[in-house]
Parts: sequence; structure tokens; C-alpha cells
Amino acid sequence: MRILVIEDDKVAAEYVRKGLMEAGHVIDIANDGDLGLEMAQATDYDVLVIDRMLPKMNGLDVLKGLRASKDTTPVLILSALGEVDHRVEGLRAGGDDYLVKPYSFTELLARIEAIGRRNDPSGVVANLKIGELEMNLLSRTVKRNGKKILLQPREFRLLECLMRNSGRVVTRTMLLEKVWDYHFDPQTNVIDVHISRLRAKIDKDFAVPLLHTVRGAGYCLQE
Amino acid sequence: MITNFSKIYKNTLFRYSLLGALLFVLSLMIVAVSVYYATVTSELNRVDKLVETEHSEIQKIYDENGFQAVEREVTLRTASSEGLYGLVNKRVAIGNLFFQEVTKEDGELPLLTGLEPNEFNKVAFLYSNPHSEENDFKDRRARALVGPIRTENGVAAILVVGRDVEGTMRTGLKVRNAIFISSHIALILGLISSWFLSKRFTRRVDAFNKLADDVRLGNLERRAPRNYSHDEMDMLAEHLNGMLDHIERLMKSMKYAGDSVAHDLRTPLTRLRTRLESAAIKRENTEDAEVFFSAAEDANGLLKTFDSILRISRLETGEKRELLINIDPKTLLDDLADLYEPSCESAGLEFIAITPKGHIIKADRGLMSQAVSNLIENAIKYTPKGGKVKLELLKTSKGLVEISICDNGPGIPLADRERVKSRFVRLDKSRTQPGNGLGLSLVDAVAHFHNADFILSSIDNHNTKRPGLRAAIIFPKKNIK
Repeated sequence: MRILVIEDDKVAAEYVRKGLMEAGHVIDIANDGDLGLEMAQATDYDVLVIDRMLPKMNGLDVLKGLRASKDTTPVLILSALGEVDHRVEGLRAGGDDYLVKPYSFTELLARIEAIGRRNDPSGVVANLKIGELEMNLLSRTVKRNGKKILLQPREFRLLECLMRNSGRVVTRTMLLEKVWDYHFDPQTNVIDVHISRLRAKIDKDFAVPLLHTVRGAGYCLQE
Repeated sequence: MITNFSKIYKNTLFRYSLLGALLFVLSLMIVAVSVYYATVTSELNRVDKLVETEHSEIQKIYDENGFQAVEREVTLRTASSEGLYGLVNKRVAIGNLFFQEVTKEDGELPLLTGLEPNEFNKVAFLYSNPHSEENDFKDRRARALVGPIRTENGVAAILVVGRDVEGTMRTGLKVRNAIFISSHIALILGLISSWFLSKRFTRRVDAFNKLADDVRLGNLERRAPRNYSHDEMDMLAEHLNGMLDHIERLMKSMKYAGDSVAHDLRTPLTRLRTRLESAAIKRENTEDAEVFFSAAEDANGLLKTFDSILRISRLETGEKRELLINIDPKTLLDDLADLYEPSCESAGLEFIAITPKGHIIKADRGLMSQAVSNLIENAIKYTPKGGKVKLELLKTSKGLVEISICDNGPGIPLADRERVKSRFVRLDKSRTQPGNGLGLSLVDAVAHFHNADFILSSIDNHNTKRPGLRAAIIFPKKNIK
């Protein structure tokens, strides 16, 4: 994907650039809001990463400027401000996701890939399929190898989130946000317990595991 | 009415003005008493002097002209003056007193009984004159001097010289009544004016109290009402507003500084963690990777602590309270129960959630969820295997909504229950467990943010080893719809 990072901290931007390049993306960097808006309007990026506090032009204003000119490029907002109202403000301005500093690089990568244009998460689909695992979103049923698997409503949403992002890392924080709508980090491994329950239902009786743990990052559902 | 009065009575201004009214009435009475003495008593003294003079005049007539001259003189004076006279010995009884019915003031005794014939006595008595043409002839007050007309070696007769003092006494009574009535009127006027004054005063003081409450709740933009009369209350309002302006300015600059610190410190910390992470990823599947991952985790813990501190301080300033909306605590708690039930099960604990429908609280879902989640995590962390964790929503006997988390773990000693709510306080027993000592202070800050009480108590005091802990967040009435 072609990604534009608008961030005034040059060292942090450089690390992000290196990391994203290693993950196979093409990166441009803008160090202030004015330049960022100009670059975003000139080139067709797949994802924009915008820091909220920027010199010359505030990150939210950059975003509002883009949305006003009917630019629908997915935007991830980075911010040191983590309060709920700041988040709501950011999403209202047209952001697709909001990541509070300090974030881990894996978190950033997972979120960029989740909102990226090529993944098009907004497409309306009735069925999700990874290998022999099938999910019907209308009848809310899950089958593996044709065999029906009974899931609790919350387990279903957890699996849905993993399946929509199949092949990509989904972090614990993302799961907490998307499945439970919580924006705080619990001190304990509460998500891991849910994952191991889910794993027991979808992987236990089969030879090939689908649900993988990615060290230092999160989980990934893939063949 | 009684409570109303006691409320008014507590008002300082009311008490002072009431005291003023009482002092005024008291001084009025002192003035009245002096007036009374000045008029009535001096008049009575004058009468006493007068009768003494008359008595000695008549004695002198006896000394010079003998008893017959005295008889004549008394008859003459009886006819020509306002006086009351009586001249009596074994032979004669002359004077107008013998035409009156006389009683002694303090009894039914006849005027002359019980008196030594050889001595002078001042007497006060009542008399009635049936022949008088005046309307109030009965029981008029009089004073007299009773004394002997002396001869060279004995007593020629007893002479009574008196005066009617009914008029004087009535004036005295009138003065007394006037004082009595006017002091009552003064007292009542005093009461009424104190009541009005205190009402007015209370209204203005109440405005200040309300302002203080509002400011304490985080509405720093509120100001005291002014009427620009430049009286002392208005000046107080002006000074108070000046102080609030200053505090608001300070708060704003502090907030700005806080945001900048957050921005400035988190960024390098993020970099540190990113470096460690990328180092770990590069060394994937080697022993070094573990070291880097752990270091990244430590950096992460540091950042989380920093985050919590910022969050607590922001909550403590009490801003953004308008974000609170009406929510059903049942949904909030059911979501949390759903999140933590598996954790409890894997920790070998029984988990019970009692979340009845029908309560509404004014709250922020995210903050409240985090607070309750901290409490559940604590319960899971400290309760030994086989124990029980209970999440409960109920209405207290006072009708307040309460969210509580109970466990049957080691509990918190009574002496430490307030202390653990402060930042970075960790009890010795918990030092072996992971944590940063901010969990309960965050809960406390969240509770305060919601105007709720956060109360820690034990469950079974008789069980000294595992008394259990009950952590309750109790919402105030005004937050319950």
C-alpha cells in the first residue's frame, strides 16, 4: 500500500517509515500539516496516518480539509490525547481509526492494514471463508469442514473480527475496541482467555490450526 | 414551622439584629424606669415633705395658742385645702378623714390601730369618699403622716395629715403601660426587620454557597452574581470572581502544560518501545528476542503507568462532566461480566453477576467500565483458587444505585482502606503481584468524577484469615433518573 505519514517528530516518523517499508509498503512523510494536506491532495494514497498535534496546521484540520474536498482515503489518527471525547472528536472529523500514543509498532501496522483501501472492509458480504472455516453472517452460523460449531454471541463477534482481518495481525487492543467497545487496557490477559476458549471450539478437533498467536503483537487467523 | 424557625435562628444576621432589638427594648425600659422615678417618686416625696411641714405648723399653733386654736386650724384647713385631716383624742375627733371609709393599703385595719401614739408614722392607705361628686371615689390612694401633738409632758392628740395621691399614681400607671406597649411594638418591629434582613442576606449567601459547590464540581466558568451596589456583599462577590478568574487561568495553563508533557514524554517513550520491538522482530526465534520483547513489555508498563497518572489527574480536575449521560448499568455490567467470566473460570474462581433491570445512572460508559474492570481484576488477582467473585447491582435502603464487587479473598485491613485509594500505595501483601498501585486511585477518581462514593468494606469480620473485600460505588441521588 502507498501510505502518507504526517508526523512532526522526525525520529518517530523515520521508525514508522522503516517498519512499514519492511512490511512491504511504500511510505511518504510530511513534517507539518500544510505540507501533509498538499501531499495528500496531490497523490492518491491508500492510507493516511495523521498526528493530531502538528505545526502550522492541526491534524484534525488537515483531516477536515480532506473530507471537505470529498477525499475518502482511510485515515488513522495518532494522538497523545486519549480521552474518550478526543477520540470521538477525531472520529467525527472523519477519521477511520484512532490510535493513542504510546502505541506499539505492531499495533500501528495492524490498524493501518485493517483500514487500508485494498482490504475494503466496508464491502457487504454474507459469507466469510478461511480455508475450511465458514461463517454465515445472516444466519449467524459457523462451520468448519461442514461441521457446525456452536458459538456464544460474543465469541461469534470475536471470530467475525478475526475473519474480516484474516491473514493480518489483530491486536488485543483492537479486539477490545471492536468486540467489546472498550478503549482502555486491562491489566490482565483477559482477551487471551477468550481466544483460548474460541480456539478450543474452532481448532481443537482439527489437524491444522487456523488461529495463531503472534508474539508481541496479537492474533492472526490464517491457513 | 419549628424547623423553619430554627433555620432562621441559625442565621447570623438574624441573631445579631434580634440581639440589637432586645438591647433597644432594654434601654427603652431603663429610660422608662428613670422617667417613672423622676415623675412618680419625686411627686410622692414632695407630698411627704408637705405633710411633714403641715404637721409641724399645727404643732407650732398648739405650742403658741393651745388646743382650741389647733381644732380651729384643722377645721379650717379641712374646708379650704385638698388635704386629708384627722385630729383625735379622748374628747374630739375632727377632720374630713372621719367622713371617709379608710382602710390601710395592706389590710383592713383602721388607720390608727397598731400605731404607737407617741411616734410619727408614714402611712399609705386607701379611702373612699361616698360624698364625693367625682366618679371614681372608691379606693383612692393616699399618703399621710400620723403623729402626736405634744404637750410639755404628754400627748394632746393624734394628728393625721394626708394627701390624695391617686392622680400621681395613675400617671405612673399610664407611663408604665405606655412603656410596656411601646417596648412590645419595638420588639415585634425588631423581629420583623431581622427576619427581612436575614432573608435578604441568606439569599445572597446562598448564591455564594451554590457558586462554591458548582466550582467544586468543575464548573470553573461560574461567577458570583453582582448587583454593583458596592456594598460588602458585592465587594465579596467581586473579590471572589477575581480569585476564580485567576484559578481558571492557572488551570488552563496547567492543563496546557499537562497536555504538552503528555505529548513530549510519550513520543520518546513510544520511540523507545518501537526500537525494542523492531529489535525483537529482527531477532525473531532467537534467545535475544525474548530479552527485547520483555524490555518492550517493560517500556509498555511504564507507558501504561504514565497514562494512568495522566488520566487520574484529568479526572481529578473534574472537567468534561457534561459528557455524563443516562445509561443502564445493567448493560454496562453484563458486558464486563461477559468479558471477565472466562478469566474467573480459568483462575478457578466462581463468578456470579446479579444485574437486575430498571436502574438508570448518569455516567460515562468507558470510565465506569474501566473502574469496575479494575475492581474485578483486583478481585481475581487476590482471591485464592476456589474462591468467589460477585458482581452486583442493587438499590440501597436509601434508594441509591450501587455497583459492588465482592470477593472472599484476604481483604484490606480497616486501617488501610482509605490509604489504598491514594496513588502508588501498595500493601505489603500485594507487592508480589504485578500492578502499579494506581488501580484503586483510578477507581476513586472515576467515582469522584461521577459524584459517587467509593467504599471499601469487609464481608465476614469473623473470618480473620479471609474476611473478603466488598468494593462499592454508590451513585448519588441526583445522578439517578
